[in-house]
Amino acid sequence: MSGLNEIIHQPVRLRVMAALTVLAPGEEVDFAYLRGLLEVTDGNLGAHLRKLEDAGYIAVNKTFIERKPRTFVTATVAGRQVFKAHTEALKAILKNGS
Amino acid sequence: MDVTRNEAQESLAAIEVMMQKMRRAAASGGTHYFFILWGCVWFFGFLGSHFFPGKTGGYLWLGFDILGCFASWAIGMALRHRVRNAGDNVTGRRIALFWLTLFLYCLLTVWIAGPVDGKKLAMIIVIFAMVGWMAMGFLMSLSIVRLALLITAVTVAGYFLLPDYFYLWMALLGGGTMIGCGLYIRCKWQPS
Repeated sequence: MSGLNEIIHQPVRLRVMAALTVLAPGEEVDFAYLRGLLEVTDGNLGAHLRKLEDAGYIAVNKTFIERKPRTFVTATVAGRQVFKAHTEALKAILKNGS
Repeated sequence: MDVTRNEAQESLAAIEVMMQKMRRAAASGGTHYFFILWGCVWFFGFLGSHFFPGKTGGYLWLGFDILGCFASWAIGMALRHRVRNAGDNVTGRRIALFWLTLFLYCLLTVWIAGPVDGKKLAMIIVIFAMVGWMAMGFLMSLSIVRLALLITAVTVAGYFLLPDYFYLWMALLGGGTMIGCGLYIRCKWQPS
């Protein structure tokens, strides 16, 4: 079915995209905060974020705040579009029953 | 790729749950900390007014308010990097300006209405504070609006029905409601 995206469909990545697309464009969320929200481990989230980043669906911004390393994550325009298309395809499956 | 109807349903449900969770977490920010903090300030402040009427109660209030302001600043600083905007934070500045304006209008009202006794002063401050909360609630979450209406109703009821126990009433029901609401938001809305 067109619109479905294999990278996004994985459950953790699907929830990551759902969380990030709620934020306004330009807003980014702290890695640790996102981990708490998703209830996953550091390593697990890190691996999924890398996959989404490689696909160009999210942008990861590593920075220092008060001399401590911090990682912020945001959904890219492409990521938002792909996620929207994916959810619409899921809705279509439900509607058409196929 | 093939996705069954069941799988699609489960995925959409997971998306909905996650979006709601993020929306609430982002909207509430650290609201629960502020509710609990200012609930404690109200609780101890009004207890002070009840048990130490006159100037002592006033000084206690002043002390608690100063502590509350410092603690609010510290909490705000600690939470400011959870969700951040890459651009200029115009909304944040406008919200700060709104609270400053509301505070100045409250001072003006007290000055024009004065001299007012302690209970009337408390009523005016509570009413202005609740107007501010409601404005924030309309921006972030309607449950804050409901809470502000409840506290206003509780305050007015206490003022007219229990004038002798007004401060005690405010400590238990006003402060208690804020603390309870903060704990509720902490349990239901926030990530662990």
